[in-house]
Amino acid sequence: MRTTSVTWQLGQGAGWRPQLDGALARAVGLGFLEVVAESIGAHDLPAGVAAALGRGLQVVPHGVSLSLGGAERPDRARLAHLASVAERVGAPLVSEHIAFVRADGRESGHLLPVPRTYEALEILCENVAIAQDALPVPLALEHVAALVQWPGAEMDEATFVGELIERTGALLLLDLSNLYANAHNHGYDALESLVRFPLDRIAYVHVGGGRVRDGVYHDTHADPVVPGVLALVEELFALTDAPGILLERDDDFPPEAELVAELRAIADAVRRGSEHRVRT
Amino acid sequence: MSAPDREGYGARQAQLLDALLRGGDYPAGFVAAQADAAGRSLRRKRARAVAQAWPALALHLGGTFDARFDAFARAVDAPASGDPLRDGLAFARSLGHDAPLGDDARAELLLARAALCRRGVWVRAARLRRPYARLLVVARVPWLGVVHRSFACLRVASPR
Repeated sequence: MRTTSVTWQLGQGAGWRPQLDGALARAVGLGFLEVVAESIGAHDLPAGVAAALGRGLQVVPHGVSLSLGGAERPDRARLAHLASVAERVGAPLVSEHIAFVRADGRESGHLLPVPRTYEALEILCENVAIAQDALPVPLALEHVAALVQWPGAEMDEATFVGELIERTGALLLLDLSNLYANAHNHGYDALESLVRFPLDRIAYVHVGGGRVRDGVYHDTHADPVVPGVLALVEELFALTDAPGILLERDDDFPPEAELVAELRAIADAVRRGSEHRVRT
Repeated sequence: MSAPDREGYGARQAQLLDALLRGGDYPAGFVAAQADAAGRSLRRKRARAVAQAWPALALHLGGTFDARFDAFARAVDAPASGDPLRDGLAFARSLGHDAPLGDDARAELLLARAALCRRGVWVRAARLRRPYARLLVVARVPWLGVVHRSFACLRVASPR
């Protein structure tokens, strides 16, 4: 096990996408960007990412294809690419998902949940250990939004994630929108679940937009952040500090003023929560 | 402690993934409504990427795009690379005579075929009608990449 502690302060961040390049370059107060590692070439960095590094922002590579929750051990070439991106941007850490994205040679095109069983936990722990050995920096693990749940769960999500973080020594990428989505869609209380996540192991926090369609909350990253998620941001920062919080926007890109307003709304929620924590 | 059963674990994941991609026949114990939503979400994400890579095709199909692509996605896996240009090419070819393509979509199809051609010289042409009659020539040439040019089709009056 490779237990790592958080030594960085990231501040407020945003997911870098080519379509947001100009707006993010002009955004005031950003401390870091997250780049999808698979979107970065083998040698060069996108000009906007290189420029952000030049302005002193930190960059965190975010993997989407390791399939750490899959039956196969993580692919060496994918790990080498993630490690290479981390080294090229001087990243303090990298992040990936508690999910599987392929099975029996077929790609899902998305992040699918794993069964919350001790068997899945063992396989995940082995895969995470392989990844940690191949990466030059600490690894943070993100729990995913799951529209479908496996039958036969042996523990709830907060317990499962807590066990994984404890056994592997990895850090937690807490996604408050995923937490909100799962609580909404599977009928439990988001705040009650939040307090049982390993909050002392947070590397940084994700927030993204979503919408309800046919009664189901979809974590689209193509819509504004809903008030319920901002309330969770405030609750989290009332409970504890976190090294960073990042807005994910992947589609239906808004005008710059809307993006800035979203970032400000998140910062305001962090401030309200932090003020409450300091007072009490 | 015995090693976890990766083979059985992988088989169960493969069974779920197949059911989600095909849109039915879920393994025992899954809630069908949840699995339906998850499968639709996978296919919608794939459709969105193809629509962005193939704007003229998406515009041509208009309101029928979503249903047509959903039917295609249930039957045909996305390419292993996930490349939406290649995925859209397979989709466009699957339409056949069912949805004859307009000028812009045909031009887009030629450009995509050229971009996806990996070896040698590739040249094709299409006669387009709007906004004026012209011949679009698309070529993929090693070192140069994809080049295209259109030529106005002159109408020569036949002698009386």
